[in-house]
This record gives sequence, C-alpha cells and structure tokens, in this order.
Amino acid sequence: MNRRNRGFSSSSSAAASRVSNTYGNRQTSNNQRIGSSGGASDSYRRRSDVPPHKRNYDKEESENKDTDPADASFIVGTCSSMCPERERLTRERLRDLSVFERLYGNTTKSSTDLAVKKFCRTLSAADVQASDVRPLPVLEETLRYLLGLLDSTEHPFEVVHDFIFDRTRSIRQDLSIQNLANERVISLYEEMVKFHIISNQRLQSCSGTSISSMHHLNMEQLAKTLTSLYNIYDANRKPDYIYENEAEFRSLYVLLHLNPSSGVMGEPLSLWFRKLTLALIKSKEICFVRNLLRLYRMGNYKNFLSTTASEATHLQYCISEPHIREMRSFAVQCINNVCYKLQPYPLLRLSQNLMMKELDVESLCHECGLETCTDSDGFTVLPAKQSTFRNPEDKFKVYDLIGIERIMRKF
Amino acid sequence: MAYVSMGEAHRRITEYLSRFCDAVSYQDSSTLCRLLSFSSNSPSLLSIADALNVFQDAGSLIRQSDKFSEYGEILAHLFRSLQSYRVGNLVEAYLAFEKFANAFVQEFRNWESAWALEALYVVCYEIRVLAEKADKELTINGKSPEKLKAAGSLLMKVFGVLAGKGPKRVGALYVTCQLFKTYFKLGTVNLCRSVIRSIETARIFDFEEFPRRDKVTYMYYTGRLEVFNENFPAADTKLSYALQYCNPKRERNIRMILKYLIPVKLSIGIIPKDELLQNYNLHEYKKIVQALKKGDLRLLRHALQEHEDRFLRSGVYLVLEKLELQVYQRLMKKIYIIQKQSDPGRAHQLKLEVIAKALRWLEMDMDLDEVECIMTILIYKNLVKGYLAHKSKVVVLSKQDPFPKLNGKPVGS
Repeated sequence: MNRRNRGFSSSSSAAASRVSNTYGNRQTSNNQRIGSSGGASDSYRRRSDVPPHKRNYDKEESENKDTDPADASFIVGTCSSMCPERERLTRERLRDLSVFERLYGNTTKSSTDLAVKKFCRTLSAADVQASDVRPLPVLEETLRYLLGLLDSTEHPFEVVHDFIFDRTRSIRQDLSIQNLANERVISLYEEMVKFHIISNQRLQSCSGTSISSMHHLNMEQLAKTLTSLYNIYDANRKPDYIYENEAEFRSLYVLLHLNPSSGVMGEPLSLWFRKLTLALIKSKEICFVRNLLRLYRMGNYKNFLSTTASEATHLQYCISEPHIREMRSFAVQCINNVCYKLQPYPLLRLSQNLMMKELDVESLCHECGLETCTDSDGFTVLPAKQSTFRNPEDKFKVYDLIGIERIMRKF
Repeated sequence: MAYVSMGEAHRRITEYLSRFCDAVSYQDSSTLCRLLSFSSNSPSLLSIADALNVFQDAGSLIRQSDKFSEYGEILAHLFRSLQSYRVGNLVEAYLAFEKFANAFVQEFRNWESAWALEALYVVCYEIRVLAEKADKELTINGKSPEKLKAAGSLLMKVFGVLAGKGPKRVGALYVTCQLFKTYFKLGTVNLCRSVIRSIETARIFDFEEFPRRDKVTYMYYTGRLEVFNENFPAADTKLSYALQYCNPKRERNIRMILKYLIPVKLSIGIIPKDELLQNYNLHEYKKIVQALKKGDLRLLRHALQEHEDRFLRSGVYLVLEKLELQVYQRLMKKIYIIQKQSDPGRAHQLKLEVIAKALRWLEMDMDLDEVECIMTILIYKNLVKGYLAHKSKVVVLSKQDPFPKLNGKPVGS
C-alpha cells in the first residue's frame, strides 16, 4: 500500500486504513456516490485516473504542495449534523439508540441534537457517501458535545465512557477518511487522548465484570489515538518546530512504555527516542519523563514518587498511576527483604518516602500480605523479613499521592 | 559530461548490449555484476551513460538485433535508469531501475541454476542505494520520500523468489540483510520480524549453509534488535558471533559491532580494555568505562550528557544509563576498602551518613532517606550483600563477598 498519506502511517486504526484504502479508487469530483448506475467498473478506476481534489478547509496548510495524482480523491464530508440523517432514521427504526440519544427516554425517537454517528467497523466503498461524513467544523462541535457529557451524573461512568468511547472512534474515522491534518485536527486528537487517559483513571474506581475489558480496549484506543496524533505532528513539520502541546503528548508515550513488558503496543523506547527531534529532547516534558524512566528502571522509588508528585502534569500523573502503585509495592517488598529483623521499619517514615498517608501505607502492607504492628513507643512499624510478601491482587486500587493535589481537577 | 560522437556512442552502446547478452548466455555472473553496478560509478558505466544521452534512441539498437531484443524490456529500463542516473535525476533513475529489477527477477526465476546470484545481489544493493538517493531528492523538493519503502517491497519479493528448495536459497540471507538495512534506515524495524521468522524457522533454510559474510551481517542486525529490546544475553550472543567471524581487516565493520557490543558487555559486568577503545576509535565509551571502574557517578552523568545525541541516535543511551547501579556498587566498594584500611574491625558497617558525604563530594546532594532507598535497592538487587539497620542508619555488609560480581548476568536477573 504505497500511498502517500500525509503522515498517516498504516499503524493507525486498521479500520480507518481500510476505509481510506477503499477511497483510493473512487471518483469524487462531484461528491456524489458512484455506482448508483451499477457501474462496478467505476469503483476500480485507478487513482491516477482521478482528477486531483481540492480540500475545502485546510487553510492552515499553506504548504499544500502540488499534489501527485496519486494523492487525490479523499472524500469531503457534507453531513451537517452530528449524525447522518439516514443513520439516525435507521437506528430509530431498529431501536438502536444509546440512552444519551433518546428523546425524552423514547427508545425509538432521537433528534439532531442528540444523535451522534456510531463507529462502523466495516465500510465498503459502496456504502459511504459524502453525506455520511462530517466535515471538520461539525466534528469539532460533536467532540465538544461528547466531552460535555463526561460530567453527567445521571448514568454510571461506564455507560458514559462506553458511549463517548464509541462516538469518538467514529470521529477519528471521519477525520481519517477525509485525511484531515492541521492544527485544529491536532486539537481534536489531543482532546481525545485526554478523554482516554482520564477515562482510564476513572474506570479504575468502577466495578463490574466488563470493566477489565473496557479498560483494555481503552488502552488500545489510547495507543492508536496517540499514534495518529504523532503522525499529524510529523506531517508537514517545519524544522525545529514543535506544536504547543506536542512535548507533553509525546511524553505520555514514554510513560506508557515505562515497563517494557506491559504489553502496550508500540516500539521499544530506545528506538522511539531515535526519532525525536532535538527540540523535543530538550523540552521540559521529555526531560521530566526521561528522568522518571531512569528512576523507574533503577527502582529508586523515593525519587520517582517525589519527582512525580512535584512535577507531573495532570495527564502525566493519570498515566503514571499504575507505576506509582508498582513502585510502592516494590518499596514495601525491598524494605521487607533487606531490613534488619530487630529494627522494624516505622510506617510514618515509609509513608513520607512513598508520599502516602500513613493509614494508606498500612493498608498497602496488608495488601502485600505483610503484617504491621505497634512498637513499644506506640508507633506503627513494619517488621522485616516476613516471608508472606505477595504483589497486591487489585491492580487498580489507587492511594493518594501526597503533593499531587496541586494539579488535580475536580470532576 | 564528455563529448561523444554519434558513431562512438553507437559503438559503446552496442558493445554494452553484446557484453550483457553474452554474460547471460555464458552464465558469466561477474561480468553481469560489473554491468549493473551503477553506484560503483565505474568509468565504463559512466561512458555508456554519456553515450546513451547522446544517442537517445537506444531502443532502436536493441530492436535491431534478435540477440538483443530477447532481453529488450530489461535493457530498455536499464538504459533509461542509467541515463537518468548520469544526469542526476535520481527519482527517475530509481523508477526505471525498479522496473528493470522486476523484469530481471522474472528472468532470474526462469534460470534453473543459481549462476546469477551475485548479479542478483548487485541488483538488490543498487535498488536500495538508488532508493535512498531518490528519497533524498524527494525530500529536498518538499515531497514525501517513499522510494525506499517501495524498494523494501521489491526486496521482499526477491526474498520470496529465493525462499525455495533449490540452490538459490543461499541467497536469501543476503537479501535479508538488505531488508534489514532498509528497515533500519526507514525506522520500521518491526518489519524485520517476519523475515527473521522465515530465516529462523523455515525448514528449507539451514543457517550454516549461508555464506559467512551474510551470517555476520545478519547477527549484527539481529543483535542490534536485541539491544533495542534490552535482551542482553541474546544481544551478547549475536553480536559476539558477529565479532568473532567478522573479517579482521574490515575495521569499520568491527567498530560498528563493538559500538553495540560494548554497552551490552558493560551491562553484564564485562569491561573492555582501553586498547580496544583506542584501536577502534570508540572514545565515546572511555569516560563511561572509567566511571564504572572508579565508582564515579558524576563522571557517568557527564559522559552520558557529553555524547547524549550520539547515544540516543544509536539507541544505546538507555542501556548505558542503566549502568548507574553498577557505578553505585563500585562506589560502595571503594568506601568499604577505604574503611578497611583505617578501621578493619568496623569496615563492614557503612553508615548512611558516610555514604551521603561521599555522594556530596561527587556533587550529588541526597538526603538520608534517598541514600537509604538506594542502598535498599542495591541490596535487593544483589549488588550489595548485607542488610539495612534502619534505626541505626547503617548498612551492615556480609562478611563474605559483600559486592558480588555480575558474572555475565544483567543486574537484577
């Protein structure tokens, strides 16, 4: 698939690539569907036969070079509402409306203010029309609307997440079909990354059998969205230029891959760093995560936790939660392992080192299968060399990080 | 470009055509190689190119003779490529060469024996090199560079042609190495996986059968992949193999292998001799080695900073950074040795206060809590044998072997 695809690598959402690929063979000069006259042969016109297509809203792309004929024929959406009308009508008929889309709770009625286009995994060239695809301004409006739902308290968070998860995936699909890539698109992707990260955190305090798979899928889409975002940053890059939030969003990749065996998709960090420009390497955010990486790999729990508490941004903190947890259990394990049996470790000191409340440390020790007791002066201590250490079972339980309050947002 | 008369141009082109067709007829691989090596910039090839640019209608010459027209398609593309190459039109040169290569590979498939393998190697090499040049030209002109990626696809095709039961299969490793070079240059290193899987698991391939030169290159690249993935034992095995079997006269290659092998060896506690670094001009590792030997954390930090860009580009930065714990170990050992000299009875007790002082000398300001944290890690990871008496703020070292050597295993394994 040797497409020149303006920086979108084939590692972006497989469904999106598949969809984009089907557009390679379409004639789109009048934005209308071909094949309505049954011309199957029309669908297979070679890309070079198609006249180059102007994009309507990439005003920021001042360096729109002379397009190859091979570069042409990305569809330009014309759908003016959050959901294409024919989809809304179909779903009303089939009662396939999410709770957020129902007009006064009616399972068969929605409205243009409520219906949002669903993500559709398989799309063939014959099924997609320009009127099904939303142009950039509509996508921006849609995302704004969706993110506004995050604060809704009417429904449990899992339900909210599920809806936004699916509908943002559809937004990404529309962006990809139209091959949009400019600063406004960057903002959209950044907002969607934020959504996945914050969801990740909030899902951890939800319960239910499907939470674990939701969490996994969310992480998967987070990785994909980040990849797409990076591709757009890279496309049309001016030398030594980094976008406003680029350093922070790049830093998130490092935090996601702190632990090489975590199974998050992507390349090993050594390889990833090779591609960073000098401007990024020198940026405050990248320096910060490189420092965290060093501390994490060394096992330096004290410095890792204090640095995170004092320097992390909100997003960086959210992604770091699993590692904070890991470092804390590791600390408990080390202390239990190396300390002198006759000198139990005071929990107060441990709590200071681990940036935790003392009661939380005690709870953590118990989670790790270790006992705590009170010494002759009345202080709670952790006796060393206990043989019962185990890693805590609950992967998601989070204790406060003292010092992080400075950047916590209220939900 | 030299002036060439029409007559002379005609003569040169006809001569080339004859040589090409004779080479094929008599299965003369080495002549064929010479005729295809554009990047060698040999005078004879350049003179043909000049002739082509003057004559302009080589096609007619090809068509004139039955002997030549048998390979008409191949030759037409080849000539077009050579012409473009000569005038510096590298994208055109690549495109034409790609067509030539496709046609050539088709012919190659039909030749039963593996006589033309060397020539095929040349074609693979040239396509990659031309693609790189073409991409440079595209980038300069503000277009998206995609020829190297295309070359990669073609190389995969060639690999497929060679991956069979016959004698041609020994060429597969060479093509694999060209693919590695392509993917490494493109940064799409994950694509190496599928071809590695073919080489290592397909039953038609016996690794030992491949030419030594290709095995060395293969181990070099797969070793580098292991370095990226921080699989140090595997990286050690592969890169050491490459080093062992590399032609000792190829100093540049040896240096390239060492560039990656040294960080790997350092990670498992093996320190290279100074002469090695000297002889192969690997001065970027000098300070790192010194820091390890002296337990000098400040020197390590400094060395990493000084060559940060170079280490990041080659992908060894994270490996070297990880040596920090070993440097700590060495520092503790030094403190212990010094204490032993002044007060042997109590040398095995390392006061946290003393360690903090030593670190302050190295311009590292740490509170006792962090010092304690580091000692805890060192003990836990078996770099220091002993225990921590928290209340007494002292680390008590084991009487026996308090600073165990790594013995060829990475820290913490």
